Amino acid sequence: MLFNSLTFVVFFAVVLGLHSLPLPWRAKKLNLLIASYLFYAAWNPPFVLLLWLSTLVDWFVARALHREQRQTWRRGLLMLSIAVNLGILGYFKYGDFLLENWQLLMTAVGIDFRPPPWSIVLPVGISFYTFQTMAYSLDVYLRRAEPSRSFVDFALFVTFFPQLVAGPIVRPTQLIPQFARPRRATSDQLTWGLGLMTLGLFQKVVIADSLLAPAADKVFGAPEGLVFTDAWLGTLAFSGQIFCDFAGYSTTAIGVALCLGFSLPDNFRFPYAAIGFSDFWRRWHISLSTWLRDYLYVPLGGNRKGALRTYANLLTTMLLGGLWHGASWNFVAWGGLHGLYLAAERWLVRRRAGRGSGASPVNRIFLGLLTYVLVNLTWVLFRAQDFPTAWRLLGAMTGIAEGGQAVLPTVNILFVITIIPLMLMTHWWMRDRSLETVVRGAPWWLTATLWAGMLFAIIVTQGAGDAFIYFQF
Amino acid sequence: MATGKESFHARSVPAVPWGRILTLMLCLAVLALATWEYRMRQIGLQADDIGDGRGHWSVERRKLADSGPDAIAIVGASRILFDTNLELFEEKTGMRPVQLALPGTNARPFLEDLAQNRDFSGLVIVGITEVSFFREGLGLYRDALEYYRTESPSQRFGHLVHRFLSRFLAFIDDNYGLITLLERLPVQERSGVSGPYDQVWKLSIAEDDRQTYLWERIETDAFLRDHARHAWDDFRGDPVSREVIDSVIESTRRDIARIRERGGEVVFVRPPSSGPVLTNERLRAPRSRVWDRLLAETGAIGIHFEDDPRMTGLDLPEWSHLTGHDARIFTEAYVDVMIQRVDWIQQRLREH
Repeated sequence: MLFNSLTFVVFFAVVLGLHSLPLPWRAKKLNLLIASYLFYAAWNPPFVLLLWLSTLVDWFVARALHREQRQTWRRGLLMLSIAVNLGILGYFKYGDFLLENWQLLMTAVGIDFRPPPWSIVLPVGISFYTFQTMAYSLDVYLRRAEPSRSFVDFALFVTFFPQLVAGPIVRPTQLIPQFARPRRATSDQLTWGLGLMTLGLFQKVVIADSLLAPAADKVFGAPEGLVFTDAWLGTLAFSGQIFCDFAGYSTTAIGVALCLGFSLPDNFRFPYAAIGFSDFWRRWHISLSTWLRDYLYVPLGGNRKGALRTYANLLTTMLLGGLWHGASWNFVAWGGLHGLYLAAERWLVRRRAGRGSGASPVNRIFLGLLTYVLVNLTWVLFRAQDFPTAWRLLGAMTGIAEGGQAVLPTVNILFVITIIPLMLMTHWWMRDRSLETVVRGAPWWLTATLWAGMLFAIIVTQGAGDAFIYFQF
Repeated sequence: MATGKESFHARSVPAVPWGRILTLMLCLAVLALATWEYRMRQIGLQADDIGDGRGHWSVERRKLADSGPDAIAIVGASRILFDTNLELFEEKTGMRPVQLALPGTNARPFLEDLAQNRDFSGLVIVGITEVSFFREGLGLYRDALEYYRTESPSQRFGHLVHRFLSRFLAFIDDNYGLITLLERLPVQERSGVSGPYDQVWKLSIAEDDRQTYLWERIETDAFLRDHARHAWDDFRGDPVSREVIDSVIESTRRDIARIRERGGEVVFVRPPSSGPVLTNERLRAPRSRVWDRLLAETGAIGIHFEDDPRMTGLDLPEWSHLTGHDARIFTEAYVDVMIQRVDWIQQRLREH
């Protein structure tokens, strides 16, 4: 079920109504659990079985892990959890990719291997809930946390509908404790939650889908080479589209949870104001980057085993982070490029260590813009459907490719050159602020007017109900 | 008891007068929406226009699946969709066709779908717009069948809610969304680029059963009429190639044979067009190369508007679709011809 659908409006009203009834807390939790399964089943009912499988395996594995003292057995149990979770993920998400590459390899060595077509539907949000449940077993294995004592609480942690299909990827210690005691939003929380939902849906429906997506689609869908301006405008449009799409989802999810009385962590902090790439990853998809840091980068050795090993760990983490996004070499290249950026930045920072204090305001703006431009180059790999398209675009953006055609209508150009600078200025202004502090400081009538404007724009834009980009991951 | 120690931070809520904010916000939003609705009604949008799209099409496709083997289905592009009056059709034959034609879309995959459906042995009326039927691409709603086959419970429910709201609110119309209107502002276009201004705007209104009419404002508003005429310029192009004609006729012949094997029938109907649109169609797909060959090589019955005086001289404000009034005349005429010439219909009429 999409947040930007009429079905969700009805669904959420019913869930909110049930959650407000004077029922025992356990009954309310069961309501939320059933609602979460319905939320997922509304897309494709049979795939609820995958959620159940993941829930049952990690529930029993974590309990056994907690009881078991023998290290070999504990390791075996952890492997079982990882094998089931990654097995499901591998089968549904990477099966086709692996088969395709195996076929290419066989052809390269002269073997004519023709597997039957792999027509498996990708369960929506599978990468998100797989990582979330894996974090639970890993935390129990590493003795960072105890297993939940309530199956309903754990099942709700795996399935909680606001963040089930596109995050934020929540840690067990962030969410399970919230199910322990009765929760109901105060009227202020409810209103603020509705405000966040409006903001998130405005980003998604109005900015991402209606104002920026057409320019990005035209440029990335162009069959021929492009002129310099169109290649850049399409890429800039995509940078805004993917931010507003994904941050819009996260903001809506946070708002939905808050309306029910639950707190989800931030997933974005104005990432296009980042100065450097480590700063970018502290602001972009925070729940994934911290997951990768805690469960991959640090266990690999992090920065504790020398400079070369640190660079290798960064690269490995980002390559796998890229692959997490999708079964395609484009995503691997996208992650790899981010890994290279992070390694290069680390090398530069080490070289400059001890050479004076921070940069001047002008330099900070320059470095921020440079970061944004370099991030845009990675978005080309992320969005292009294949490498030839990516090279064609990068060629046009760097001026290497000559000729090319114009594809963007004037109105799409006007949208991009209006919205992208506004977005960058907003990110820069909000760099060290939070939305809460800005709202606290704004005149109340201005908040009400902007909120009404966003709600009006969402309703009269009548989006086509496009799925969120990150649902496919 | 929770997992480990509690590490979550309760989200802070800004300390502002939320009651006042919510009240003012709701007042402003309702006022703005009421003004917008009023303006849209002034423009000519109607609350009973429930729109069209993949969701509506899927409802009709399911009707066909539920209506038994002897159903009548209409496939084609926008002309047979706008130009057929379903109520009149039912009055004359006692059978209400299921309207499966889709604007800007090639009818072939839908004919093929019916041919491959072993449960279907009814009558298929194929609306022919030559430059749409005889092309390699599938057009605007190429994914309608895929949508129908994979439509999720959420999409089906959302469609019902959308339909319900559309009956009361005129502003719910894909063609009059806020950003769509902004996109259609007349701005200087870049050389060689076609923008949203040049594309097809709102042409029709749709009621239950996908009963679709040409929007009255196309008849009465010279600007909108001229714009619609201008949009058809995009359909200019080279004559349809011999290879495409050969392959389309061959695949159509196979589909017709399959339907006939099960006792069904296929009839081609060519609705009217006029002015430069008709001239362009005659250049790109001359009747002798396309229509006549289609009938000769498939053995199907064809009803061409040029062959019946009742179907000529009708009012086509933008050269491509009949007015709601003349759609009734055209429907009556082509249904009369079918009653005279199509055995499948004659048999059903006798049975009824």
